[in-house]
Amino acid sequence: MERLASVLLSSVLSAGLYATMAYGLAVIYGVMRIINLAHAGLMMLAAYVTLALNTRFGLDPFLSLLVVAPLFFCFGVLLDLTLIRRLPQGGNAPSMQSLLLLFGLWLVLQNLAYVVWGGDTQAILTPYTMSSVPLLGERYGVPLLLVFGVSVLSLLGLNFMLRRSFLGRAIRAVTQNRDAALLSGVNAARISAVAFGLGTAFAAIAGTMLSTLYAFTPDFGRSFLLKAFCIIVLGGLESFTGVAIGALVLALIENLMAAYTSIPTSFQDAISFSLLVLVLVVAPTGLPALFRSFSRRAVAR
Amino acid sequence: MKGARAWMAVLAATLLLAPLLAERGTLNDLWNVAFAVVLASAWNLLGGFAGQISLGYSAFVGIGAYTTVLLADAGWNPWLTLPVAAALAVLFSVVVGLPTFRLRGPYFSIATIGVGEAVRVIASGMEFTGGSSGLRMPSADFHFLSNYYGMAVLALLTVGVMAYVRGQAFGLALSAIRQDIDAAEALGIPSTRYKLLAHALSAALVGTAGGLFAMNFQYISPGSVFDFRLSLSIVLMPIVGGIGTLVGPVLGAVLFSYLQIKLLASPTLRDSYLFIYGGLLMLVMLFEPHGMVGLWERLVQLGRRAGRPVAGAPRGG
Repeated sequence: MERLASVLLSSVLSAGLYATMAYGLAVIYGVMRIINLAHAGLMMLAAYVTLALNTRFGLDPFLSLLVVAPLFFCFGVLLDLTLIRRLPQGGNAPSMQSLLLLFGLWLVLQNLAYVVWGGDTQAILTPYTMSSVPLLGERYGVPLLLVFGVSVLSLLGLNFMLRRSFLGRAIRAVTQNRDAALLSGVNAARISAVAFGLGTAFAAIAGTMLSTLYAFTPDFGRSFLLKAFCIIVLGGLESFTGVAIGALVLALIENLMAAYTSIPTSFQDAISFSLLVLVLVVAPTGLPALFRSFSRRAVAR
Repeated sequence: MKGARAWMAVLAATLLLAPLLAERGTLNDLWNVAFAVVLASAWNLLGGFAGQISLGYSAFVGIGAYTTVLLADAGWNPWLTLPVAAALAVLFSVVVGLPTFRLRGPYFSIATIGVGEAVRVIASGMEFTGGSSGLRMPSADFHFLSNYYGMAVLALLTVGVMAYVRGQAFGLALSAIRQDIDAAEALGIPSTRYKLLAHALSAALVGTAGGLFAMNFQYISPGSVFDFRLSLSIVLMPIVGGIGTLVGPVLGAVLFSYLQIKLLASPTLRDSYLFIYGGLLMLVMLFEPHGMVGLWERLVQLGRRAGRPVAGAPRGG
């Protein structure tokens, strides 16, 4: 029982990070119908920027979020204005062209990191990197707990923004029904730019937090991109709560597998990748839609 | 299509006659070109003709290569392992294709990244594949020239098959699937079966190339044959050359092999291949979705219009 409790706690802790990581993809997909393959590259870049701020100015990685997130928001808006806007717009399905363009961007970002920082493995060490706190009979690293706190805070902040501000409501309106939103006077070009900036900023927040937990190279982020994608598909691709549910489900599956099966940890990633394929095929509309259709069927009886 | 035929004749003559004239180093480069031509052209059958962009093709190279090495280590003649390599690649293409071909467009592409990565992770963790340290061929039988001819013939065969398929009902059905899958279904084209068939055919060619790769390099590891970067090059070559055309993948393959040789030779450029690949991909997507072939066609049009004054840059169809 105690073991189950600690598995659940670990799952919730990693779900926070997963949700932050996945939300960046979800907002861009929701508003622009674009699958941002450069997400991994942006996370990696944010990790290096955090490292640079840490080594150059001695800035704490968690404090550096205050610099990194706005910086990447601007970078994202810039990317939208210079690159993505040039592609043919419209259509309700994501286009292959945008996918491949952002794939190219990912490669360019990777190379940028190789040129600036070299290919060596890097890590950010802080005084509290190695310290841990006992919780429910297990010890949890301080960075992990801080990451969870920051994730929850940033997601709550985002949720507040989406529900209360005009901009946030416009973003949700475009996500729910693009044509209706445009007819009621929402400026689609501006909302797209903001959405891409927001997605980029969340990729950066995730990247910074990942840099406090893992060592990284310019190749960093690919497995996290796949996990993030798995999460937004699980969550039904666009809703805010869907992302949270998807993150929790993936974290639970991973932690339960690690605790109760003898599958070696080196195969862990293969599990989430296979889960991605499985979910895409079995429940392409996500878990919430699946539940809804089940309950509707139950009511009909 | 007269132009294409001339190009193919040049390619065939170069690949087949080179051993009479060129030295070992040049032949090595040409072997790389032939390998790239197989990968790019075979990918183009599914990605270009049928429009299903797969980002997980290194799995087939890896399956082919591992099959050849494992059977050769068990005492088989390496050449006899190639049909088995192709057959296993086909089997895997069907196993992967059955679920993933239900997905469309970018969803299919993302799923293929997942499949490719899962295969790599599993291959690095398994006992019989030698884990991440890889496997070595039995060292006795290595004849570069026969390896060279093997790859050259496979490259020409691949291009020949593509040229043939394009004119057949099968090729036309694939192009209908690319243009509008619902309309194709409505016309009675069993799209999933055709996609599976295209996937299997290209997997057989790529798997065979993987076997030949193992024979020529004598040593394979998940880092060399299951690498994401290999999947990446396989996608980029036909896209940069001209997706969906016959000549495009060959042009892309030649360009990329040339780039690779140049990049590996220069220590300053060695790490910047990602920049060049990524930059090319972005340029193609932003300015000329039909790649080098599209660019060439624009130039030809420009040449035709040279008599008349042209206002601004012409917009190619």
